[in-house]
Amino acid sequence: MSRNLNKLFNYSLLKISLIPLMLWIISSLVFILLRVAPGDPVDAILGSGANEFSREMLRNKLGLNESLINQYFSYINDILHLNFGLSLSTQEKVLNIILKSLPASLELGFFSIISAMLIGFPLGFLGLRNKGKKTDYFVRIFGIVSYAIPPFWGAMVTQLLFSVYLNISPIGGRFPIFQQQPQITGFIVLDSILSNNIVALKDGLYHLALPSITLGFLLSGIFSRSLRVNLDKSLKSDYVNAAFCRGISRKKIIINHALPNALLPIVTISGLTIATLAGGTLLFEVTFSWPGIALRLHEAISQRDYTLVQGIVIFTSLLIVSLNLFVDILIAYLDPRIDY
Amino acid sequence: MKNKILFSILIFLITFLQNSCSSKKISQKIIVASSGKIESLDPARASTLKAIQLISSLGDTLYELNSEGDLIPELASEMPIFSKDKLKITINLRKNIFFHDGTKFNSNSIKFTFDRFKRIGTMNYILGNKIKSIETPSEHKVIINLNKPSSSINGLLTSVNLTPISPTFYEEYKNKFLNEKFVGTGKYVLKSFSNEKQLITPNLKYWGEKPLNEGINFVGYSNSSSLFGALKSKQIDVLLSNSIDDSQRSTLNYLSKNNKFKEGNSPFTELSFISLRTNIYPLDNRNLRLALAKSLNRKLISEKVSYGLRKPSRSIIPPILKKENQGLWPKYDYSEARALLQKEEYCNGNILRIPLTYRSNVPADKLIALTWKEEVKNTLNDCIDIQLNGVESTTVYKNLSSGIYTAVILDWTGAYSDPEAYLTPLLSCNEIVEGICKKGESVYSGSFWGSMKVENLFLESENIEGKKRLDKLLEIEKIASESIPYIPIWISSQKAWSQNKISKPIFNGAGIISLSDLKVINE
Repeated sequence: MSRNLNKLFNYSLLKISLIPLMLWIISSLVFILLRVAPGDPVDAILGSGANEFSREMLRNKLGLNESLINQYFSYINDILHLNFGLSLSTQEKVLNIILKSLPASLELGFFSIISAMLIGFPLGFLGLRNKGKKTDYFVRIFGIVSYAIPPFWGAMVTQLLFSVYLNISPIGGRFPIFQQQPQITGFIVLDSILSNNIVALKDGLYHLALPSITLGFLLSGIFSRSLRVNLDKSLKSDYVNAAFCRGISRKKIIINHALPNALLPIVTISGLTIATLAGGTLLFEVTFSWPGIALRLHEAISQRDYTLVQGIVIFTSLLIVSLNLFVDILIAYLDPRIDY
Repeated sequence: MKNKILFSILIFLITFLQNSCSSKKISQKIIVASSGKIESLDPARASTLKAIQLISSLGDTLYELNSEGDLIPELASEMPIFSKDKLKITINLRKNIFFHDGTKFNSNSIKFTFDRFKRIGTMNYILGNKIKSIETPSEHKVIINLNKPSSSINGLLTSVNLTPISPTFYEEYKNKFLNEKFVGTGKYVLKSFSNEKQLITPNLKYWGEKPLNEGINFVGYSNSSSLFGALKSKQIDVLLSNSIDDSQRSTLNYLSKNNKFKEGNSPFTELSFISLRTNIYPLDNRNLRLALAKSLNRKLISEKVSYGLRKPSRSIIPPILKKENQGLWPKYDYSEARALLQKEEYCNGNILRIPLTYRSNVPADKLIALTWKEEVKNTLNDCIDIQLNGVESTTVYKNLSSGIYTAVILDWTGAYSDPEAYLTPLLSCNEIVEGICKKGESVYSGSFWGSMKVENLFLESENIEGKKRLDKLLEIEKIASESIPYIPIWISSQKAWSQNKISKPIFNGAGIISLSDLKVINE
C-alpha cells in the first residue's frame, strides 16, 4: 500500500512539474496571438476621433511603444511574480477584476453541474431500466439533443420563454437591481447563508435558477448517456454475474458493485466539465448578462485589453490544469487498473 | 407515492418562483437600463454614453444646452463674457453651491477640474491647445485665457468631461483616475457603484430644482435582446437605446405609437457616413466620388436598414446645430451617376470596382453596405461593382490613417455641441500638399482631403460669433460637399422608452436624458 502511495506521489509530482511548462506555452501563445490580432487598445479606448498626439501619449502611458521583446519579457517577469498587471482600459488590477468575476462563474458552474446530475443520472437509470423500450429511446434521444443544442440558443429560448412570456424569471443579472448583495466571499448563495439573510438567499437563487437549470439541462445529456453506457457495461461484467449467482439482490449489486465502477469515467467527464465551466461559458454569460469571468473576457477582447485578456486566460488555464491534475490523481487513486 | 413526491416538488418550485417574483416590486426607485457596463465614473475618463449620462446626473456643468441647442448657465451665473480680442473669457459662478462632500464650489474647483482633464483626460484632445491658462481672480469668478480665439469654447463649456469635481475629495487623484466614486454638485448623489449596477439618490441639499423621483437604479445588460425583453416584461422602467438593434427599435417605436410605452427622442446628433480615400486612384478623381455619392439611395437605406427611424442626411452638421435642415451634399440620382461614370470611360464593359469596408461588429454598417451594393447592382450593374469587406471596428480605426481603405463606413458624434465638433475632425488638416492632406484630422478620418480655403475659413470662424460664424462654417461644409471626400448617409438620435407608469423621457440638446424629470405617475 505504501509502495502504491509512493508511486502515486511520484506520479503526482511528475504531473505537477508539467504545469509551469504548460502555463508558459499558454501565456506565450496568448501574448503572440493578441499582438498578431489587428487593432490596438488605444483605438478601442479613444475611438476614431482622437488625434495622433493623444494616441501616442496614451500608447506611451500604456507601455505599448516598447519593443515586443521587451513587452514579452516584462510580461513573463510579471507573471513569475504573480503580477498580472493593470487593465489597460480601467487601470484596475487584473487580479482584482478576476477575483471579482470568478465567483459568479464558479457559482453558476457549480449549480449547473448539480442540476445536470439531478437531471442526467435519473434519466440514465430510467433508460437502462427500460432498455430497448420507448423510454430508453426517449432518454437516448434526449441525451443527444440536449448535448447538441448550442448553449447560447438554449439560453435565448429559455430567457424568452420564462423571462419575457411567462415573466417568472429575471431576464439577467445575478441579484435584484434595487438591492445590495451580501459581500463576504463573492458567492451570493454562500454569503447569504453566512450572513443569515434569507431574502438575499431567495433572491440569489431566484436569479441563479434559470441560467443554472438551463445549463444543467444542456449538460445533463452527457451524464445520462455516460451513466447508461457505463452502468450497462458494468452490469454485463463477470463479477456482476457472479454476484447474481451468489443470490445478492439486484439493488445491492447495482449500488455496491456496478455503480462505483460505472462512475469512474463519469468522474473524468465531471472533472473536465467543471474545469470548462470554471472558465465560464462565454455566450451563456453574455446572454444572461451574468457578470462572470467569461463576460469579462468577452469585453476585454473587444476592448483589446491585452493585460486583462492575458490575465484571465492564464488564470483560467491554471484553474483548468489544476482541476485536470486533481481528476487524474483521483482516477489513478481510485482505479487500480491504472499503471503509473 | 412517487407521484406525490413529484407533485410536492412541483408545488414547492411554483411557490418559490411566485415568492421570488413578488420581491421585485419592493423599490419605488426607477430602473433605467442600457447596454454594457460603466467602467469609470471619472469625468476625465468617461467616454461611453452611459457613463456620460450618469455623470451628468451626479454633477453640473458650467453651461448646458437646452433641447433647442441654446446655451443655458448652470453653475455659471450668467453667459460667458469675451474680451475684445477674444482671448479671455470671464465666467461668473453661482454662489452657495456645495459639493456632495460638503465642500464649497468655487473658482478653484473649476481650475482644478480643467487642469486635471488637460493633464490626464482620456479625451483631452477635445481641448487641443485652445486653453492657455485659467485664472481665479476671486472665489466666484474664473478667467479662461485662450491661446487663440475660439468660438467653439462655448460648446466645450457644456462638455460633461469638464464637470466640476471637488478638489478636496480628488486631491489624491489629481494625477490618476477615480473610477468608482464621484463627488460633484449634481441633483443626485452616488449611493452605490459596481460595473453592472449603480444607484443614485436625490441630493437633498441641491441648489436648484429637486428631482421628481426617489432615485434611479442604473443597470447594464450585455445584449440587446435582454434589454428588449426586460422592457417588454416590465422588469425595467426605462430603456436607453444606445446599441439596441434596429429591428427592436422599430418594434418599440411601433409599440409606443400604440401606447404600450412612451418614447423620448434626443436631437439627431450621430452621423453615419462613408469616408472616401481621395489621395489615391480611383477616388482621387472627383467625378468618380460624385458618381458614387449620387448612387447612394439614402431613403432606401434608411427604410430597409433602420425602418425609417434614422434620418437620411445630406449634411455632416446635425440639423440642431445649424437651425435648419438643408442638404448640401449630392442627391441620389443614378442616371447622373451613370453619365459621370461614362464621362470617365466606365460602364459598357469597364466596371469601376470599389472595395467598401464596413465595421463587422456594427450590425447597421453591414446592412448599409449590403443595401447599397444591391441598389448599385440594380441600377448601375454595368458601371460599378461594390466589393464588401467586413473588419472589426478597432482594426478599422487603427488602419484609417494608413490609408488602406478605399471607402469605409464610419460614424461620428461631436464631443460637444457645436458645428465645429463635426467639421474639424472630418475636414481640418495641418499640412496640405496639392490638395492632399499629409497630416491632420482628415487623415485620421481616412479621406486625406485637404483645402487651404477651408483652413482659412476655420481660422476666420474663430474670430466671429453667432450667425456670421455659422455661415462661415456652412461655407466650409459647402466647399467640402463640392469636393465629396465623404458621403453622409443618415443622422440618428438617441431614443429612450419608458413604461406607461413613468413619465416620458426628455433629452437635452446634447442627447442626454434628464433623469431628474422622470417620475412615477400611477402610484
